[in-house]
Amino acid sequence: MGMLGYYIRKFWMFVKNEVLVLPSRIMVFLFFLVLLLLPVFTQDPYLLRILILTSIFAILAASWDLLSGFTGQMNFGHALFFGVGAYTAALLNLHAHLPPWGSVPVGALGAVLAGLIIGIPCLRLRGTYLALTTLAFPIILMGIVFTIPSITGGELGISGLERLARSRVANYYITVVIMLVVCTIMWKITNSNTGIIFHAIREDEVAVRSSGINTTRYKLLAFCLSGFFAGIAGGLYAHFMRIAGPSTLEVSMSFQVVIWAVFGGIVTIYGPIGAVFILYPLLEFFRFWPEYRTLMFAIVILLILLYMPDGFFPWIRDKIETECPRCKIRNIATRKTCRICAAEIE
Amino acid sequence: MKRPMILMTTLMAFLIAMTISFPAMGANTIKIGVIGPMQFVQGKGHWNGATMAAEEINARGGVKVGKKKMKIELIKADSNEFLNPTDATNAMELLLSRDKVDFVVGGFRSEAVLAMQDIAMDYKTIFIGCGASHTQLCLRLAEDYDRYKYWFRLTPFNDQLLGRTTFIHLGTVGAILKKSLNIPQVKVAIVAEKAMWVDSMIAAAKGLIPKMGMELAGVWQPSQAATDVSAELSAIQRTEAPLIFTIFSASVGIPFAKQAGELKIPAVQVGINVEAQKDGFWEATQGMGNYVMTMNTYARGVEQTELTKPFVDKYIERFGETPTYTADTYTAIIHMLAPVIEQAGTLDANKLIPIMETREFIGTANLVKMVSTPEGKPIHDLKWGPGYATSLGVQWQDGKLVGVWPNKWKATPEAPEITYKGIVPYKIPPWVIEKYKK
Amino acid sequence: MALDIIIAGLINGSTYALLAIGFSLIFGVARIVNIAHTAFYMVASYCIFLIVQKFGYHPIVGMLVAVPLITLLGLICYKLFIDPIREHEAAVLIGTIALAIAIQEIMLLIFTGDYLSVPALIQGYFTIFDVKVFYQQLLTFVVALIILGALRLLLMNTKLGVAVRATANDREVANLMGINESRVAMITMGISVGLAAVTGAVVVPLTTISPFMWMHPLIMMMAVVVLGGLGSIKGSFAGAYILGFAEALVVFLIPMGAFLKGSVALSIMILVLLIRPEGLFGIAFEEER
Repeated sequence: MGMLGYYIRKFWMFVKNEVLVLPSRIMVFLFFLVLLLLPVFTQDPYLLRILILTSIFAILAASWDLLSGFTGQMNFGHALFFGVGAYTAALLNLHAHLPPWGSVPVGALGAVLAGLIIGIPCLRLRGTYLALTTLAFPIILMGIVFTIPSITGGELGISGLERLARSRVANYYITVVIMLVVCTIMWKITNSNTGIIFHAIREDEVAVRSSGINTTRYKLLAFCLSGFFAGIAGGLYAHFMRIAGPSTLEVSMSFQVVIWAVFGGIVTIYGPIGAVFILYPLLEFFRFWPEYRTLMFAIVILLILLYMPDGFFPWIRDKIETECPRCKIRNIATRKTCRICAAEIE
Repeated sequence: MKRPMILMTTLMAFLIAMTISFPAMGANTIKIGVIGPMQFVQGKGHWNGATMAAEEINARGGVKVGKKKMKIELIKADSNEFLNPTDATNAMELLLSRDKVDFVVGGFRSEAVLAMQDIAMDYKTIFIGCGASHTQLCLRLAEDYDRYKYWFRLTPFNDQLLGRTTFIHLGTVGAILKKSLNIPQVKVAIVAEKAMWVDSMIAAAKGLIPKMGMELAGVWQPSQAATDVSAELSAIQRTEAPLIFTIFSASVGIPFAKQAGELKIPAVQVGINVEAQKDGFWEATQGMGNYVMTMNTYARGVEQTELTKPFVDKYIERFGETPTYTADTYTAIIHMLAPVIEQAGTLDANKLIPIMETREFIGTANLVKMVSTPEGKPIHDLKWGPGYATSLGVQWQDGKLVGVWPNKWKATPEAPEITYKGIVPYKIPPWVIEKYKK
Repeated sequence: MALDIIIAGLINGSTYALLAIGFSLIFGVARIVNIAHTAFYMVASYCIFLIVQKFGYHPIVGMLVAVPLITLLGLICYKLFIDPIREHEAAVLIGTIALAIAIQEIMLLIFTGDYLSVPALIQGYFTIFDVKVFYQQLLTFVVALIILGALRLLLMNTKLGVAVRATANDREVANLMGINESRVAMITMGISVGLAAVTGAVVVPLTTISPFMWMHPLIMMMAVVVLGGLGSIKGSFAGAYILGFAEALVVFLIPMGAFLKGSVALSIMILVLLIRPEGLFGIAFEEER
């Protein structure tokens, strides 16, 4: 009993000192809480469906940011990983009878392979060349998909896949938990040594190389990691929709991912995730005006870009938090002195 | 700087408010969801046909369900199928869980309908397909009847039968060419867009063409969205084939017809060209799509059953264009659902399905009957054949889309000869006649 | 057959060249990847459709009205949406994508998704070496050459041209030399959109108009520009014809694989980039500070 009390007190101290001090961390905490507890309050299947799809796309957007935001390799063909993950999981499920908890990870490995295949030619390319080249890959794959319809199902895709779970609520929990876990892993990666190297490669690759780090290996690693997580999103999508079709490889899907990520703020993992959670339900909400839906979406993007060119979430974060000039720790904007070093903040 | 924040918060508040509650509509109406690509001709057809049916029924007081009369309430759902199958499933889910419809009609793109069908079956709601031809949609009933029995396909008939019908057209036109132009052996060039339903048709065509006494000149497969096919046309012209067998469902049908007409390629086009079914085809090809023949369900002036003319005339009067086959949502509601509901006296799907399964009734395009597999398992697919659904062969003749088939057609030597009222003879383009009558 | 391929290749190539030159110009000068370039081409097509089909004027009138109108539209869009965020490259990319989508939706609203078409400037076709060629296709080829010539004249022999080239070379130093860099960017934007409009005028009678017609040319155009090397006009020209021939080869040699012509063209682009990462004539520019 005493031990339990001790742990509860420790947990409370942690929450009080680490989480509650910054509004951004409070928001993340609430986000986790709301997502996990939502089915207790409402089981509306439509709402759950939207949130499941949002979670899947959130994984996709975050994985893009890992590659293009942090490592600076602008990837305009992210739909490739999504599609390869979806198709591989579908084929494994249908022909090898692998259940979803097997086919999704193995499908993601297929996407990793794709990541290597496109990463190697892209090593020597920079900036816009890289962006436009990566755009080409999903299109080429789509051509191949149409050429071997006996395996890939052509324009109808592969259908008749197993569900992730029996009920809608179970589906919801599986997807949301996977999303939270995967995104936390990605977040941890960016905070680790590897993450710092990724970031450095984006800023100045020559300097990194002259420090003795093999940038080729790290760039390929970024492609593979990004591919893996995007492949997981693809596999989950295929099993939720129970169909894996060429729409997963379309150029518009690649563009969507980039729009979400840049809207939310690149070089942050939480930016794209938050952006998807705002924009995807917003697009569904606009269903009330079916003809104007996409137009309103595009206008929202344009307006946000005008006012917040660095992304939505960095802008919000800058409004509610400031950095201490001395110790560089973030503080809530209403404070006069830093919470760690007590220096004055304007 | 304050403006975006206020905008955002209002938007979020709205979103939360909307998702939480939604007032249930009147419980004294029969709710029918109409789902289709509403921004395009096919979806508009879905909605127009359904609207006409609902208005007609409500004008006479509604449908008698047991003791009371209930009116029909239509709920429109834009599936956006062409651009985004995920959107289509979201729209279907919205119809079923939020709007709580009793029946669903519509659907068009097979890839999307396969997914939408699953959702409707989850909710055990009757879904009448008016647009997707994929055979798999009905074969699913043979594998799992209890789950998929809520699905019925009213139009078009499945893609295997589509193939069979279009080969009949091919043979008919080939025979006309052989006879009028004195060509000993007609060469056929197959031009098809790249799609899965097309592949099986091409394979079948390769086998059938020699059996029909014709020769295969070659197969060309441009992409669905191709806008310049002059290269393919040059190659086809070199083979000197007088007959081009087209299999197009997407936009490539327009530039193909236009460029073939402009270049005066000495060949006739017959087969499937979905763009050529629309009234706007003439303008889209700048008149160069003259003499193109394709399959269609309705044509001005042609009467397949006694219900065709009143329907087609009323549709043209109200909407200004000939109905496409997706407008058969009209038949689905007024001839397929309403009478069965009145007969059973209830909206319960389980009581309606046995009646719908065995019933034979006159629709606006044909006599409708649902079929079973040879082993006797019901698959709720449309029955094809003389006296049942045959569709029409239509040809553009000087700005008008007229019916040219069935014209004295016999399916088998023992079958009755069919010619619908209003069918006119097929015309060969003058420049083709000129080339061969030398 | 070889003649078919050559002629088809020349014609395809000219279309791509017209589009690619405009795109390459604005990228070279202002480092803006204008994804909405083909969207402006689409607006020009609709504009011509409106004037010719609805108001009944001759296609030439349509062209003469559309080109300045669309150029104006392009400049306004640039000033409103792109100029403020020019410093953030990623934001510009998304901005132009969103602009293209917005334009597509507006066209969809006004004209619906039906396919439309425009009559040719010069109707009919002629036969050369047994191959039938539309007059309009010949016109495309001729116009492409004229534009290239005119652009070269502009860039080499006029003061404006020198300013444009200087800005493309090194923006900051051009500023130091007294060239109003943002005004040059604006003028280049105008030329670029104007070229897109001219392409629309010339190429549109050969294709069908739909609100989604901007996506496919966009991809091919970007492939051409990357292949030729970003920022190099003659590179875009060469790349356009190479990919045009590649497409023609696919259509003629593998008729059943005609839908693959896009994929083949893109694969060629990737192969070339493997060997020469800056494209054929591209300038390997250093990271800009």
